[in-house]
Amino acid sequence: MNNLNNIYSLLKADYLLKIGFLFGDFVFILFLIVLIKQVFSMNQIINDTNDSAFIKSGAIFLLIIAVSLFLVALVIL
Amino acid sequence: MPDVFVADKNEAEQQTENKTSDAPYIAKSDTNIKPVTIESSPIPPANRVHLFTSLCKNPDDISFQNQDEGEKPLLFIRKDFVTNTGWILTGIFLIFLPVLFSVTQYSLHISFNLLPERFGLIFLFFYYLLTISYWYINFITWYFNISLITDRRIIDIDFSGLVYKNVSATKLDLVQDVSYTQIGVIRNFFDYGDVLIQTAGTLDNFVFDAAPRPEDIVHVVEGLIGKSHE
Repeated sequence: MNNLNNIYSLLKADYLLKIGFLFGDFVFILFLIVLIKQVFSMNQIINDTNDSAFIKSGAIFLLIIAVSLFLVALVIL
Repeated sequence: MPDVFVADKNEAEQQTENKTSDAPYIAKSDTNIKPVTIESSPIPPANRVHLFTSLCKNPDDISFQNQDEGEKPLLFIRKDFVTNTGWILTGIFLIFLPVLFSVTQYSLHISFNLLPERFGLIFLFFYYLLTISYWYINFITWYFNISLITDRRIIDIDFSGLVYKNVSATKLDLVQDVSYTQIGVIRNFFDYGDVLIQTAGTLDNFVFDAAPRPEDIVHVVEGLIGKSHE
């Protein structure tokens, strides 16, 4: 009975950790969406024709990584 | 009897006229400074603004919202790149922090494995994602903090913390005075400082924080004010 309790508490801790991580990553994804919006809006205010693509793609790259991490965590954790 | 010295007299008059009309900037301490126009300013001709540019004269690849037809940017100013040292070093420290943590664990023969193994890698990736984001956010905060001086107005764009955005502009006619302060060893060594542009009446003043080569910027703005007040 004691062993079962231990296993249950470990599983519960794992589950909570997974939920916590997914929630954190989701909030971070929302934050990155706001970031992308701000970057695009700032690029409209002042446009540097040479580097605006680089700056925009940097933000999109971060979002893609965050979403990938979210999906990977959803599957393997 | 014809006048023999007419030519010299005209030349002298022309010289005095030039001194009064084309010399908008004469420093009190040094009267030998050349009359200022944007062409004769000491800022080097670099027309292309690249990713790390903090000062550029006559940028030809910059456009901005509500730009008038024919309005030409003359000076493009960001904070001096040296001001980014803090967050760059912090980012480097954050990158090496997990390595330091592991080395400490190994050398002290202790273990802090609070997380299950399968979580470790995912959490490490997430940690590095946060670190790169920290770098990126600090970089764009610097990148979008821009001051522009065009042939018609002065524009100051403030951007910080992703949620604060302030764009202010004033016509050159309304600029009354321009000055700069350079306090501290680091600012003097790297030649950057705060440029204060005072405007008429109750309008807000403009402050270009940590602008590179503030003396040159003041020189150019004073030249432009002189032109606009003529």
